Amino acid sequence: MKLSAGLPILGTLLAAAVGLSCADIAAPGRSDVYEWRFISSTDPGTTDTLSFHWPRSMLPVKIWVQDTLDFSNHVTHAIDVWKAAFLYREFDAVLVPDSSEADIIVIADSPAKLPAGAARLERSLAPECEGGTDIVPLPGSRTIQYPVRIFLLPRFDPATPGVSECLRLTATHELGHAMGIFTHSPVATDIMYVDPVVSELSDRDVGTIERAYHVQPNVSVPAH
Amino acid sequence: MRVLLTLLCVWPAVGVSVARAQTDYYARLGVTFATDLVTDNITQDIITQQSLAPTLAFGVSFPIAPAYSAGLETALSTSGYHSTEADQDTDLGTLTTGSVLLNLEGPILHRANWRAGLGLISYLPAEDSGIFLSGGTTRFLAGAGLDYRPPLLTHWDLMVSLRYDFHRFSTDQLDARGFTGSQGVQRVSLSLGLARARR
Repeated sequence: MKLSAGLPILGTLLAAAVGLSCADIAAPGRSDVYEWRFISSTDPGTTDTLSFHWPRSMLPVKIWVQDTLDFSNHVTHAIDVWKAAFLYREFDAVLVPDSSEADIIVIADSPAKLPAGAARLERSLAPECEGGTDIVPLPGSRTIQYPVRIFLLPRFDPATPGVSECLRLTATHELGHAMGIFTHSPVATDIMYVDPVVSELSDRDVGTIERAYHVQPNVSVPAH
Repeated sequence: MRVLLTLLCVWPAVGVSVARAQTDYYARLGVTFATDLVTDNITQDIITQQSLAPTLAFGVSFPIAPAYSAGLETALSTSGYHSTEADQDTDLGTLTTGSVLLNLEGPILHRANWRAGLGLISYLPAEDSGIFLSGGTTRFLAGAGLDYRPPLLTHWDLMVSLRYDFHRFSTDQLDARGFTGSQGVQRVSLSLGLARARR
């Protein structure tokens, strides 16, 4: 090889070596998360900690939405918001036209009507509307209630200012429960706060759902 | 990025149309291997990497001194990309990369040439999601390569090419999510093609 011929190649390799010697990309700490698992007391002094996320084999999760009060748009927005929280396609969902094929059902009803014996997550209490999600398994069970039921209902005339916005953020909040965040955040700036007032996810919401989808769950979807 | 795309689309045609007696031009088809794009850790390590990518390249060069040429090479690669966590792969979609390198070329032996250059590389995801939620990215690129060109036809040589390039990768979405710094990405490609005969 001619000596002069190799100089530009050596120069390029040197540039690459300099670049390689720089530190590689560093991941964020993701330490600011809240408890998302459902912790129930069983016997005195004993607790049962339940965690869940939709398995990749079931993605996209199928959601049926009652055709009322612009629910389709609200839930589509909620899906987009939660999907954007993930970097590695941990979650996806689509709307389906038939409730019989749905993994999650969104109903315009009061969360008060609860099947006997079923468990329910603490209700969302935004002022213009209310929501609830039935997903948590019965005590001793290791499967979620399936299909998951989300309830959304305005507290006033749907045309009242603020009701549509309330339904939208409550849909996002309840979908968070249906995805596996079984508890409420204690911080008001999180979408998973019990009385949500923000419309988008906080960094804590994002960190929490990421963590939930990278921890091995001990609750699964029942055979169906 | 639009400039790079325009160059990628237009340059081959321009290169052919301006070809003159001493202009060298070629087209190659091969595969490109790339190292990790992102290394992350949520509860355990997560690696994101582009799969082996079919690559199409065009190049043109002009003599600038006895035995030396300057040229422009464009390459387009498309393949899937995936994340790996605990030995489990997740398909993240389709990723296209387009690169432009301004090269200096010279001889090594009778039918072998070296080349080295600087340029740009653009990442063009099929879908704005995940690490590309805020869109693709364009980065500076440094590359080098070796070509071997045995005669094939009266006016054409076979071209066997080995390429290496390097850039640092990140995206707006990774920045927004608190990632710091950038990832050094090395790529190696091997390809076969046709080049205008120098005889």
